[in-house]
Amino acid sequence: MWRVLNHEWVGVVARWILGTLFFLMGLNKALHPVDFLKILREYDFTTSHVLLNLIAAALPWFEVVCGLLLLGGVAVRGSALLLIGMLVPFTLAVLGRAMAIHAANSIPFCAIRFDCGCGAGEVIVCHKLLENTALLLLATLLLIGRSHRWCLICDLVKPK
Amino acid sequence: MGRELKRVLLEALVVAAMGLAFALLANLASPRGLSLSRNYFPGTGTAHGFESSANSKVNPAANGDGHLAQGNVAARLKEKGLRLIDHEQALQLFRDPQYELESIVFVDARDDRHYAEGHVPGAYQFDRYYPEKHLPAVLAACQNATNIIVYCTGGDCEDSEFAALTLKDSGVPLERLAVYGGGMTEWVESGLPVEIGERRSGTLRGAKP
Repeated sequence: MWRVLNHEWVGVVARWILGTLFFLMGLNKALHPVDFLKILREYDFTTSHVLLNLIAAALPWFEVVCGLLLLGGVAVRGSALLLIGMLVPFTLAVLGRAMAIHAANSIPFCAIRFDCGCGAGEVIVCHKLLENTALLLLATLLLIGRSHRWCLICDLVKPK
Repeated sequence: MGRELKRVLLEALVVAAMGLAFALLANLASPRGLSLSRNYFPGTGTAHGFESSANSKVNPAANGDGHLAQGNVAARLKEKGLRLIDHEQALQLFRDPQYELESIVFVDARDDRHYAEGHVPGAYQFDRYYPEKHLPAVLAACQNATNIIVYCTGGDCEDSEFAALTLKDSGVPLERLAVYGGGMTEWVESGLPVEIGERRSGTLRGAKP
């Protein structure tokens, strides 16, 4: 199983899937930062407007950069680690908000849908959680994998 | 393994630093970029102080009683010293001869795209997220007006409230400001005329006979 997952082409496909998704979703948010700011505010995670603005202004472009790096095969493992660092708290935040809606409105969990701020508009929460889990697996695969095919600069920090 | 981990962490750090620098520059260069220091949601104690995030902007099934929501909006506005007006009142002000004389002013608090797609005929646009673009014209119009009606999409849209508060902070007397809660959605659903494109473009649509 690991041999299959560690196959060079699996790494390339994982990079392209993650890279394309993050590039497109990031760009969509970067072009409409006010919409993203309003959605972020819904999560109620900070009382600091500066922090809220900083995340709304920077995160989308940051996703675009990570997406491009993965598409081009630059600093693959570092980028994958950063994607995991973004995906984990975001997925937990979506889960937390969905659970709060579920508790407050008695809606079946998988019938809950809202614009989670992922850049694709309104989503069904269960689908989103599954999608994020799959993305996390792909990012983990890139992090621990050894695929160097079609990489421009696979490792930015070279082994000594 | 430890060395390998260090290498990945260092690589992530380099990408993070470069990515953050690029992100901040891109935001600065973008015409739609956000100001980092401006409080876009004034008057709210928390990041989302108006209502529980569990009840806002979710699927319609979760929104419950519309009258209750309307009551909540009215109470919330009252707290801020703002008046909420209903559809009948908005219509009455729109049909008042004083509207043509600009003693009554409608202010659309939505973004460029929504405004261009259709607004209350003669309404000024005030996208409060980019005040430098709209505020001079809106403030000039508000100087002589006795009634200023601010609206956005309607429903759970809060932009009209924040726009009204921004106008208040810019010197418009609070007692002249009112928020039309039903907003553009209610206006269109009632079959009232909608102006397309620029203000006073003359292109109207949607009026019921």
